[in-house]
Amino acid sequence: MIAHIRLALAVLFVAAVAACGPAAPSAQTSPTASSAASASAGPTKGGTLRIGYGAEVDNLNAFTSQFLTDIELTMVEGLIVSNDKNEYIPVLAKQVPTVANGLVKTRADGKLELTWPLQQGVMWHDQVHEFTADDVCFTWKYIVSPGSEVYNRNSYLPISDCRVQDKYTAVMVWDKPSAIYNGLFEAILPKYMLDGKDIVKYDGYNRSPVGTGPYIFTEWKSGEYVRVKRNPNYWRGTQYPYVDEIVFRFIPDINTRLNAVKSGEVDFAQMTPTQVKDVKDLANYNLTLVQQNSWQHFDMSIKTDRGARIFGDKNVRIALFMLIDKKTIVDGVLEGTVQVADTVAPTTSPYYNPNVKKYSYDPTGAKKLLDDAGWKVGGDGIREKNGEKLSLTALLSSADAIGKLYWQVIQQNMKAAGVDIQIDTKDAATRSQIWRSGQWELQISRWVLPADPSVTGLYSCKGSNNMTGLCDAALDEQLIASDQELDPAKRKAFLFKAQELLADDAFSLPIYYNVNPIVTSKKLGNFKASGTNLGSFWNVFEWYLNK
Amino acid sequence: MGRYVRRRLIQMVPLLFGISLLIFLIIQAAPGGPEAIFLENRLFIDPQVIEAFRQRLGLDQPVPVQYVRWLGAVLSGDFGISFSTGRPVGEMILERLPATLELMSVSFVVAAVVAIPLGVYSAVKQYSLFDFSATTASFLGIAMPVFWFALILQLVFSVNLGWLPTSGRDTIGDGSIFDQLKHLVLPAVVLSIRHIAGWSRYMRSSLLDVIRADFIRTARSKGLRERIVLTRHAVKNALIPVISIMALDLAGLFSGAVIAETIFAWPGIGRLFVQAMFSRDYPLLMGILMMSSFLVVFFNLIADVAYGWLDPRISYR
Repeated sequence: MIAHIRLALAVLFVAAVAACGPAAPSAQTSPTASSAASASAGPTKGGTLRIGYGAEVDNLNAFTSQFLTDIELTMVEGLIVSNDKNEYIPVLAKQVPTVANGLVKTRADGKLELTWPLQQGVMWHDQVHEFTADDVCFTWKYIVSPGSEVYNRNSYLPISDCRVQDKYTAVMVWDKPSAIYNGLFEAILPKYMLDGKDIVKYDGYNRSPVGTGPYIFTEWKSGEYVRVKRNPNYWRGTQYPYVDEIVFRFIPDINTRLNAVKSGEVDFAQMTPTQVKDVKDLANYNLTLVQQNSWQHFDMSIKTDRGARIFGDKNVRIALFMLIDKKTIVDGVLEGTVQVADTVAPTTSPYYNPNVKKYSYDPTGAKKLLDDAGWKVGGDGIREKNGEKLSLTALLSSADAIGKLYWQVIQQNMKAAGVDIQIDTKDAATRSQIWRSGQWELQISRWVLPADPSVTGLYSCKGSNNMTGLCDAALDEQLIASDQELDPAKRKAFLFKAQELLADDAFSLPIYYNVNPIVTSKKLGNFKASGTNLGSFWNVFEWYLNK
Repeated sequence: MGRYVRRRLIQMVPLLFGISLLIFLIIQAAPGGPEAIFLENRLFIDPQVIEAFRQRLGLDQPVPVQYVRWLGAVLSGDFGISFSTGRPVGEMILERLPATLELMSVSFVVAAVVAIPLGVYSAVKQYSLFDFSATTASFLGIAMPVFWFALILQLVFSVNLGWLPTSGRDTIGDGSIFDQLKHLVLPAVVLSIRHIAGWSRYMRSSLLDVIRADFIRTARSKGLRERIVLTRHAVKNALIPVISIMALDLAGLFSGAVIAETIFAWPGIGRLFVQAMFSRDYPLLMGILMMSSFLVVFFNLIADVAYGWLDPRISYR
């Protein structure tokens, strides 16, 4: 299962383990199959891995693509990557700097200096230019430039300087400590190719990226597929990668993807939780339920006057929480494929706090809370207070098929308690706009987190993605402190406290942890699914296909 | 005739201009901008990044300014840069045209070859068992949801029988004509069904009208064989309205089929359009819609010209 260890020493240790051989499977596997079983057969060389991918991606630049960057990560490598245990492991960096290994130093002026020792003798795919510290600092310079359009640019802004100490050592100066430093630079750009180019618009890279990774870009046929071929000079050793070619076929329709799996046209495909029953017993495929760093949560916005009036009363918020039957949603709608969530950290994370306040389904208790708060049942069965009906609108994306189902469950449960729910379905782009504006009442949505557990952007008063209007000074203090704490043990204490405060504040109710069901051919070995934002291709160099 | 065509072509300019303005306004009126894709697919977004994105695409400008910029680009022969991919819109549309034309023209020809004899035979054998079955089948064909029919075909011919691939345009690394044809079968069948159903109905009713006309009675009384009466006189005349309907449907050859292309993962323009719509890729949307608008207007002209050519009573001045 996914672990969330960020201990500096553990990172190094795990890197060593990962390099030595197969570790325990990362995610829940179906009872019928386990990808670890096929690993014992030993790596076979050759073959083509056919992947049934979803919608076509916009470009192949890991920094500007708005899609999951998993195709990119077969070709492009960064200083780090996140593995199947939610740890950041070094890739092009020899090790991740920490206080303990002496590579993080506090200067006299209070700034931090992080030294990144780099792999030596790594060539870019052109086999002419070598990857060096110059490329690292070039990448930094691009990301922090004003027009870079890198989605998490603000995480890089505290880096005030990047210095090439020697060819294989980059030194970064941080204005203030930032705990997420080791999750940045998941890709490095080739300076020789991009220097002086307008990277955001440069097709020469964005549609045919050049990296140091195990696979080399071959072809992108619009609307059809992206092909990558084996890099014969891969720096980890010429035995890697084992698979000759990977083809990412774009199959936008989920039912077609399912049929493509059933007819054996693809070796690897992502399914939806409601398709699990269709794929769990296929003879030639393994099913892996990858627990995502993502949870579904019920939110209320107090950014409107009406929202502030109704949801400003904490007892009303708690009453609504108590009307959500998580168990029925998980077992009925999601067909038991997911786990109930009570807090924002995954259960397997070291930052998971099991002792937060839990809100279980309790209609009687909820009715009493609402009665006491002055919301009395009116003639039409709907509660009202001072002439205002407790009739709430839930914002839903038309693309969210599962959301439609669980909102019906919630609607019924709430109606029985005198709370009327109107479901307002909008297309995805419209929903996003309304959501960001705060002009909505109820919503169930999800976040996908990196391996790092920071949720400051979501729940601090000034968080750039704080959509509900929640503002709690005590919570802010914990969140901000946790972001600046480099000692994992101390950071854990801050984040534990933050999770408790978040549950007590009762603004956002976690419902369940999202899963990503992936079916893989039984021939595929060494696949170690990862639920982070960097996807499951982090160890693609060691995947193999049995004959 | 030449003068008529010239006049119609000139009339197209203000018409298309008006259409472009209307489409532009409608697209802009839809809530949610191109930046929505950041929120849909990503985790924490730096708000400054969204600003930079909007600025680069000129979305921070008022709508009239955006329209004038777009129009200026079009007049200089450039349909702008796609918001989502950063590539020239013209290039993106052009690279999808071969696959679109391939699928659409095959289904068009298949439909025509099946629909016309079907309609003729139904009319000749009016109220026979064949006619009733064809009528029922046609209504089924018209009423059947494309996505459902497509998935059923996939299930039967790909999953159960294993004869045909579920989706895509070719097997990567194969490249033979036979392989391409296999990929073409299911989407072409799905797309032709609707045309067959519609056109065969038109053909049937049009032929029924003609068959009762005086000139057919004359032909028969001249002692011509029924076969000759039918092919030389009746069908030829009955085809006129059917062909003008088919000519109008020709515009669809280029704009593709949204649902079928998505289900069969066919790299056509219909799918590109859906993608552009969901990501609010304004320049790409404008490009595709303007191309379709032009073709609708253009094939209207073709239909009119074809009409005059088939029916000597109609003349254009």
